[in-house]
Amino acid sequence: MKELAFVWREMLTEKKDILLSILFGFIAGITAVALFASSGYLISKAALSLPVFALAILTAVVKFFGLARAVGRYYERIYSHRATFSILSNMRVSFYKKLEPIAAGLSQRYRSGELLGRIVGDIDRLQHFYLRVFYPPIVFILIFLVTIWFTLFFSIEIACLMLVGVFFTGIVIPGYFAWRIRNRDQTVRTLRGEFAADSAEFFDGYRELKIMREIENKKKKLEKKSNKTLVAESKTGKGEVFHQAINSFTSLFVTWCVIGIGSYLVTSGELNGLFLAMLVLISLTSFENAVPMAIVPAYLQDSVVASKRLSSVKGEARNDVQKKVDLPKEQPFCLAANQVTFSYPGEVRKALNHVTVHIPAGGKTAIVGPSGSGKSTLLQLFLKFYESSGLEMNGDSVLTLSQETVWEATNVVLQQNHFFSGSIRDNLKLAGETLTDEQLINSLHVVHLEHLSLNYNVQEKGANLSGGEKQRLAIARALLKGSRVWMLDEPTSSVDLLTERAILNHLFDQAKEDTLLLVSHRLNNLEKMDQIIVMDSGEIVESGTYKELMARKGYFYQMREIEKSILF
Amino acid sequence: MKNELKEYASGFKLTHLFMILGALLIGASIIAQAFLTVEIVNKVFVNKTSFEEIVPFLISLLLVLMLRPFLSYLMGRAGVTMAASVKQRLRQALFDKFSREALLTSHQGQSGQKVSVILDAVDEIDAYYSKYIPQVFKTAVIPIFILMAVSTQHIETGLIMMVTAPFIPLFYIIIGIRTQKKSEEKIEQMTVFSGRFLDTIQGLTTLNLFQKSKKYRAIIEESSLNYRDATIEVLKVAFVSSLMLELISMLSIGIIALEIGLRLIVFNSMSFATAFFLLILAPEFYLSLKELGSAFHTGRGSMSAMRKISEELRRENEEVRWGDCLIRSEEPPKITLKNVSYQYSDSQFALSSVNFKIEPYSKTAIIGRSGSGKSTLLNIIAGLLPPQQGEITINDDPLTSIKEESWFSQISYISQSPYLFTGTIAENICIGSKNVSQAEMEEAAEKAGISAFVASLEEGYETIIGESGRGLSGGEKQRMALARAFLKKPTVILFDEPTTGLDLYTEKVLQTALNSLSENATMIIVAHRLHTIRKADHIIVVDQGKVMTEGTDNSLYESSELYRQMVSAQAEEVIL
Repeated sequence: MKELAFVWREMLTEKKDILLSILFGFIAGITAVALFASSGYLISKAALSLPVFALAILTAVVKFFGLARAVGRYYERIYSHRATFSILSNMRVSFYKKLEPIAAGLSQRYRSGELLGRIVGDIDRLQHFYLRVFYPPIVFILIFLVTIWFTLFFSIEIACLMLVGVFFTGIVIPGYFAWRIRNRDQTVRTLRGEFAADSAEFFDGYRELKIMREIENKKKKLEKKSNKTLVAESKTGKGEVFHQAINSFTSLFVTWCVIGIGSYLVTSGELNGLFLAMLVLISLTSFENAVPMAIVPAYLQDSVVASKRLSSVKGEARNDVQKKVDLPKEQPFCLAANQVTFSYPGEVRKALNHVTVHIPAGGKTAIVGPSGSGKSTLLQLFLKFYESSGLEMNGDSVLTLSQETVWEATNVVLQQNHFFSGSIRDNLKLAGETLTDEQLINSLHVVHLEHLSLNYNVQEKGANLSGGEKQRLAIARALLKGSRVWMLDEPTSSVDLLTERAILNHLFDQAKEDTLLLVSHRLNNLEKMDQIIVMDSGEIVESGTYKELMARKGYFYQMREIEKSILF
Repeated sequence: MKNELKEYASGFKLTHLFMILGALLIGASIIAQAFLTVEIVNKVFVNKTSFEEIVPFLISLLLVLMLRPFLSYLMGRAGVTMAASVKQRLRQALFDKFSREALLTSHQGQSGQKVSVILDAVDEIDAYYSKYIPQVFKTAVIPIFILMAVSTQHIETGLIMMVTAPFIPLFYIIIGIRTQKKSEEKIEQMTVFSGRFLDTIQGLTTLNLFQKSKKYRAIIEESSLNYRDATIEVLKVAFVSSLMLELISMLSIGIIALEIGLRLIVFNSMSFATAFFLLILAPEFYLSLKELGSAFHTGRGSMSAMRKISEELRRENEEVRWGDCLIRSEEPPKITLKNVSYQYSDSQFALSSVNFKIEPYSKTAIIGRSGSGKSTLLNIIAGLLPPQQGEITINDDPLTSIKEESWFSQISYISQSPYLFTGTIAENICIGSKNVSQAEMEEAAEKAGISAFVASLEEGYETIIGESGRGLSGGEKQRMALARAFLKKPTVILFDEPTTGLDLYTEKVLQTALNSLSENATMIIVAHRLHTIRKADHIIVVDQGKVMTEGTDNSLYESSELYRQMVSAQAEEVIL
């Protein structure tokens, strides 16, 4: 249950709506019981004949209870939904806060889109916690307490009987089924996960499966797996149906006992026969309130799983920055990596193996290498997307710098740059609120995006921009920021050679005095760099200027030769 | 549109019969329950009988009470079973459809969507069979039963029920459906809204880098609260409509109660037993009418899911046709393309009237700029896409007359990004080759230059790779594909040459491996590297979906301006 602690916390801030929805839920439930109790009493009384005016009063009371019940239900719904949405909003904000410091590390990871999608889905799921798990039992118990208290005036035995009934329908049976679905649910989830993964393989590996003549096999395997999942799921479904049947039988059984014991008490003269019909009707209606209890276990299980998954979203443990060190804002500073060895969380393979690099203030360094060589990793470590020792900025260990300090002091272009739905202007103004339109237009010119107007509407994730346009827009945004240290991760991989050259030339102009770290998958356009570092399998193979490396005829030279021989 | 969910359900005649029977029995048990309860209370309260006299009634009542949940349980079970069987049938149909399909470019990047149809959409139809159908049977039978029982006891109450009952479905139609539509719209908006939340957290890194995350936190809070208030406004309308429904049924019950009361007291024309009986049955009557409304709601979600599924099932299928002939020769075949044309349905691009021959053991390079149609050509030769016009012949037999199995056993296809399946390295190498010994597999790995890498892994060939396993670099994936080819020993190799991102070691392995593979096979390469092109026996130049010219490096250099331009493209780059 402790997994739900954070839902709990966010929920309790909405005390007013919670109390109101419980109050109206109670009114709606209790008036229904009162309605039938009074009509049972009414006809019993009528059977003994009574004056017409008493009948009129009783009928009025019945009507009043009917109205109160309908209105109570209405307000219960309004307040419970209001509370639900407020809680949802609180959870979003609190989760957003939790993600802020770890987002960078997450988003660099494989399939991060899916992970974040799941987080959003899980938060949405938790809205059921209040609506279906938390307050219905409270309302249920309140109604019964009052009903049983009322019954006490007529018969202690029947009151006790109902107490036992509540104990079973409200606690024992749902508890038992909650415990039972726990394990089965786990099995179903695992099976479904496997089935989903296998189905994805069917599509992603379709060509290979066809040519390897495995498509029929895979199809059969998938059908088998689907069947296995369905069998497990229908077992759960049948279990749910069984649970409902048991619950409704129990409440009917209690009513039966009320009839039996009530009749016995009447015949033995311990209970006035006038109240028998009323007590039977009370028992019949009040157990209707137990119906929502049947779905509590399933939703509880769902909420627990969702919040468990949410609380498992963590970056690596972060050292709290002990003494806060600042970085210079107005001038470039040096960067260094000393014998850095690093593996991504959860992986054995070393992404970096004893890497040592020194970049003086104002130096221009490029890192090149094949895919998977670790060239982006170094840049990510400098940006503190992950925690690692051995890295220094301006002579201070990055461990003594906060993420915010590093980010404020750098102009960054990543492989994936995010754009929000809104105008080009909005997206560029992330770099500074006070930037003028003139400055913005100027920056668009530099990156050859003069065909975009500042009012052009960018769709979510920049869906209406091409890969090259997005990269150039990200460069424009970095140019506007004006920090003195540049971190560029394949900033122009989707831009054609000529435009790339022009943009890089301008960038080198603006960054003449600045420190610059460029990760590049292309080997041309690197002649102006002071230093090129060549990496393979997490290790530095060689380094030097373009001229030096070409003259050495080593790894870089051969890669360059291959690149030259690739025509299109 | 017609209801396809119903069509699928119509196969379950026996289940339907059972449900009708179950509903009838439930209806009967409701009446019996009311009757027995009334009898007991009446006997002890009005007739003042002894307890012994009511014992048989109590026992019968217990049996009747047990019957109702038991029948509900059986009906629910039958519904769940029916749902599972329809779901399995739909999934089978979907997989049948997908596995016969030609390699569509639309597959790429859309696997998530397809998986969601197979998984989620199929799941959504569950409620129709497991909840809606049993409920419909119950609702169709129970109110009629009650109405009949009530009318036999007291026709006036029956009449009141008959007059008031239509108001509930009517009200549902007038208000319910309209607000339902509105609230469905709201739910859609909610999805959009949580999409925007997703957009923001996906962009959190960018926001962080520009120190703007706090500002966006406030925006999220504000907009989700605004959203809450707007939603509540719409929900209010929906809640008012259910308030009205509740009032109608309450009012009707009230009218019945009043009528009963008047008859009891003023006219003295009704017994206590009848009055009590009517009072117990009246709410049951209105309750089951209201339940039809909520069952209807459950069915709606399934309908739209079914629409998604049948859209997928009905989509025009592009299939590669095959025959029964076997390729008998062990030697590489002669491949001829005659007037082959192909056009994608969703784009302007077309491959038109392609003609060429590929000789056994030859090395053919297909070259052209990106988007010229060379990959499409390779997929057509592989038998993954059907030509819309013209034909491909293999040793003078049309490809369409050859058995699929027989053709695919001849070829290997090495793509730019080979797909690795979740499983061990050994399984991934052996996929598609039958009865392979460990030694043969390791030999193939050795030739593909992957064995040293495998040896460095703790679990060697048993290391799990793929989606949920150890990640491999681009170069390692490429070498895995080579190992597959070495093991398969194909007579035709189709190779989409990678452009960038490979390490030098893989580059070297690639050259030697292709040389040794080509000793026993015809090579058809979508070529990007100059030396690959130069070494080819036969170069086919493709531009804008047409074969512009073909020949050897020397002959083309002499005769083709286009070829000269393409080959000298690198010169420009050096000048840059």
